[in-house]
Amino acid sequence: MSRVLSAVLAAVAALLLLAITAALFGHSPLALLSILVRSSVGSRFALEGTLLKSVPLLLTGLSVVIAFRAGVWNIGGEGQFIVGALAALVASRFGAIASLLAAMLAGAAWASIASAMRLWRNAPEVLTTILLNFTAIHLLGWSVNGPLREHAAQYPQTDLAAATLPPLASGVHSGVLLALAASVAVWWMLYRTMEGLRLRATGFNPFAARWAGIRVGSQLARAMAISGAVAGLAGGIELLGVTHRLFERFAAGYGYSGIAVALLAQLHPLATIASAFFFGALVTGAGELQRTADISAGVATFGQAVVILMLIVMDHVRTAR
Amino acid sequence: MFELLVSSIPLAIVASIPLLLAVEGELVVQRSGMINLGIEGMMLTAAMTAVLVAQTTHSLALGFAGGVAGALAIAALFGVLAITLRADQIVTGTAINLLALGGTSFIYREVQSLVQQVPQLRTDAVLPLAWLAIPLVLGAILWNSSFGLRLRACGENPEAVAATGRSVANYRWITLAIEALLVGIAGAYLALALSNGFAENMTAGRGFIALSIVIFGRWSIKGALLGTAIFGLTAAMQYALQAANRGIPFHLLLALPYVVTLLILCGVAGRVRAPENLGVRRR
Repeated sequence: MSRVLSAVLAAVAALLLLAITAALFGHSPLALLSILVRSSVGSRFALEGTLLKSVPLLLTGLSVVIAFRAGVWNIGGEGQFIVGALAALVASRFGAIASLLAAMLAGAAWASIASAMRLWRNAPEVLTTILLNFTAIHLLGWSVNGPLREHAAQYPQTDLAAATLPPLASGVHSGVLLALAASVAVWWMLYRTMEGLRLRATGFNPFAARWAGIRVGSQLARAMAISGAVAGLAGGIELLGVTHRLFERFAAGYGYSGIAVALLAQLHPLATIASAFFFGALVTGAGELQRTADISAGVATFGQAVVILMLIVMDHVRTAR
Repeated sequence: MFELLVSSIPLAIVASIPLLLAVEGELVVQRSGMINLGIEGMMLTAAMTAVLVAQTTHSLALGFAGGVAGALAIAALFGVLAITLRADQIVTGTAINLLALGGTSFIYREVQSLVQQVPQLRTDAVLPLAWLAIPLVLGAILWNSSFGLRLRACGENPEAVAATGRSVANYRWITLAIEALLVGIAGAYLALALSNGFAENMTAGRGFIALSIVIFGRWSIKGALLGTAIFGLTAAMQYALQAANRGIPFHLLLALPYVVTLLILCGVAGRVRAPENLGVRRR
């Protein structure tokens, strides 16, 4: 079975399982699927919504692709997304470009805390990145209630960012182009540069990489920083293009969703585009399910999990023979 | 400050019971060579099933049984993927956490119409269980029985265990069942004793903190108890500080437990030796 086929099968199986689960609780599975499809790709408006959701997912997905390819367990996309957005907000008075650069720097720095803990204290990054997510979430909560709270001081949210991403022809912001460019850039970095070769070699077999003269420790730290920068960029773009201000539930799980996006794309940066679109449609559709059918939007998260579980099973079937 | 510390001790002992049970369960699992990152989702699922069963049956005991059943279901899923299919344990655990997060929020919304008063635990039998009985029993099993010796060997050198004709998979399944039992009680206790029912993502990272404490405690029971006590005290002091209103912003206090856990991981992890084959995929 080819990798593409198993990915498609996993996606289809996940949708079917979602429908079956909903049926168990007395919802019509066909109605559910039709709402999902209609509200995500059924109209121009729906497609725009899906596209907007796909942008952060594509970037957090790419962030995970880079990390997992290097063999670094960066589960910290959520936190890097948040600090990226925080930095973008603060730097937005210097314009959109400076703002996004600040987002990338902040994401890289936040991720590098985990690298430092790994290299100096041998603390596993799979745990430190997760703990840094919780820390970032509360940092955001403090910011929007304290130092960055809007001047009207009415809601726990910040004022509007001073910069925005220019819109494209329709209701979609230009971050779409940035995200697409990022996936090409990541592909180029991974497959056409020495850095990418070393990164993949390290992920493939760190012991062999060390014998080949790669300094594994600093290679892992660089991969983590790049991965964090991309997740930070996702937060910056979401701020400047969509929400324009920060509030407590700003991140909405995009960081964790990136893991599902990357795994469905079989850790390939260009396939991540299709994968992000699929999950973007799922998230958009799930939002509509919550509004019209009173089904928790948590089904999107559930769907992401089922996709990963299906991929594990497919992977086993593929390699067992 | 000292008074604050002393006055926090009773709360610390009670509030860290779910965490302690999770630490004990994960310690056993990791000793057999697996990392179950899905422990967070396991506890969250147990909290929900415990509440649903307790509400429908009006029985606390059945509620706790329901929590264990929910945890067992998650353990079975993890076991099939990580033991039988030999999938990557981190990826499997992450998927299980997403599954539990999305699944519980979906199911709880579906059955909200059935929600009735949740019975609440008053007398506390779980406290001596978590802090005394289970550590003693686990310590005896792990370090003073041939079963425990082989179980630990599965974590150090599974090939050697396999060479003696025993099944590494069986040992790992048993540790998963032990973990599910403990985490099931933990989730039920969290929802039925410490809180007033179920809330979305109510475990708030306790599973991940438990994993960190296992490492801090260097995979020993004493270390696990010590780590949980230190963490429990700082978490309880955070509540005391909130109540004392010393001008420290509430949200920064909320971040404190996670920062403390990060420091715990860095401060003592240092160069400790994990079970040799921890998290390694068997071929």
